[in-house]
Amino acid sequence: MLQLLQRAFADIGAAFKLKGVWMALASEDVADSHRDTLLGRLWPLLNYLLFTGIIIFIFDRTAPGVNFTAYVAVGYLVWQFISETLTQSASLFIREAGFIQGTVMPISIYVLRQTMRTAIRSAYALIGAVPLILFSGIEINTAMLSIVPAILLLLVTAPAVAILFAFAGVFFRDFQHIVSNSMRLLMFITPIFWVRGDGGGLRGLLYHWNPLTHYIEILRQPVVGGGVPLSSWAIVLACTAGMSVAALLLLGKFNRRIVFWL
Amino acid sequence: MVSIRARNVSLEYPLPRGFRLSAAGRGAVGGRFSRSGGEPHVTALDDVSFGLEAGDRLGIVGTNGAGKTTLLKVLYGIYEPTSGSVEKVGRVDALFNINLGFRREATGRRNIVLRGLINGWSSNEIDSRMNDIIEFSELGDFIDMPLKTYSAGMSTRLAFAIATSFEPEILLMDEWIGAGDKAFQNKARTRMEEIVAKAGIIVLASHNESLLKRVCNRIVRMEKGRVAWDGPADEYFNRPEAGESDSLPG
Repeated sequence: MLQLLQRAFADIGAAFKLKGVWMALASEDVADSHRDTLLGRLWPLLNYLLFTGIIIFIFDRTAPGVNFTAYVAVGYLVWQFISETLTQSASLFIREAGFIQGTVMPISIYVLRQTMRTAIRSAYALIGAVPLILFSGIEINTAMLSIVPAILLLLVTAPAVAILFAFAGVFFRDFQHIVSNSMRLLMFITPIFWVRGDGGGLRGLLYHWNPLTHYIEILRQPVVGGGVPLSSWAIVLACTAGMSVAALLLLGKFNRRIVFWL
Repeated sequence: MVSIRARNVSLEYPLPRGFRLSAAGRGAVGGRFSRSGGEPHVTALDDVSFGLEAGDRLGIVGTNGAGKTTLLKVLYGIYEPTSGSVEKVGRVDALFNINLGFRREATGRRNIVLRGLINGWSSNEIDSRMNDIIEFSELGDFIDMPLKTYSAGMSTRLAFAIATSFEPEILLMDEWIGAGDKAFQNKARTRMEEIVAKAGIIVLASHNESLLKRVCNRIVRMEKGRVAWDGPADEYFNRPEAGESDSLPG
């Protein structure tokens, strides 16, 4: 087991040495999706503003004690990051088969490339989210400092999830279809557009037992004035730790073997 | 001093799911199928050993599926051997799929940078080679146009120019690469001969006998993942049964 971890860290270390490669490829990826368009890189920003704008406008804004605008602005921002990470990861190694079969780059490079790409897209959306949140009338408070570690945690969790999903997608080819079909459902059972309310019933169950809720809450609660959600933090730390260990073991075991399954 | 040493290298890999072992296994080409512990797998390389020193030009011959490309990929490091080891001293470059990783939407110049990064070149190395690559490719102002505006021949010229712009210590080739129209082909041939002359060690897998005769001083013939013959090139081409070898004439 120690040997597997060593192999995994060696793979990740080698990928970090090649950071010029994945950073360049990630920015090309982002640029490619908007090349030759009039609005170019404004599209992820517009996309975000249009979607949250419509949701804020048509959904119930009268939830007691909640700033719905800020609630949706943060929730959808984090959701986009989570959703893109999950769907893209399931087909990651299959999409990168050409590179994996043709070069000796460490496979962590593809994981970092994708995380970087998702982070860049989210950064564009963030440019739209910040004014939306500021104009929604929230009050600046010290709990907001916890947003920084929350963002870091998401950035550390994404590669771990990407490794798990990418291997799963190769070993079990149906997985990528299962994931992409589940995303729509997940978007509705995750509290992005709806508020938990008084805590009971189906909504309460969906709220508490969905780990994605807590990854959103560590960013959203401090913004909407709910303080630092300690129980959510405990849950996400445990989830991320568990997934990271599993991801490292898989990476150590299969980083040089995955090429035979492609 | 550069060297490559393969010691008892074997490579087994798993078969795709749902593969019926009984339907295959006795073909003339390809590795050997077997089943151990319930998992069907292919033995692609079996106990392959050889050593190469500076100045060695090894030709790998054999029928389709004999393990030539697999051996090259093990030497390069894409495949990790199941058992045995490969020790390399010196920088290893491979000319396998020279079009890999080209981006249609990016300019030729940007593609040079991206390919350079993928090949492990530093920014300085990329900068210093940029002009040579552009000049050799003869693309002129097209270098600042997106790759999607190139003809197939033009992008092959660029791929070739990038792939051969280095001075390899150890060079692995799966077939000789050439590119472009008649005029460029002559240029490409000269460039390849130069690279071969400069490299410390060459390993070339090919079916082209006259090419192997010209380039190589040693031949390894693979047969179902095993080394079936290993020795000096002139001895290989002059052996009594050479007339019925699997290599293509000319």
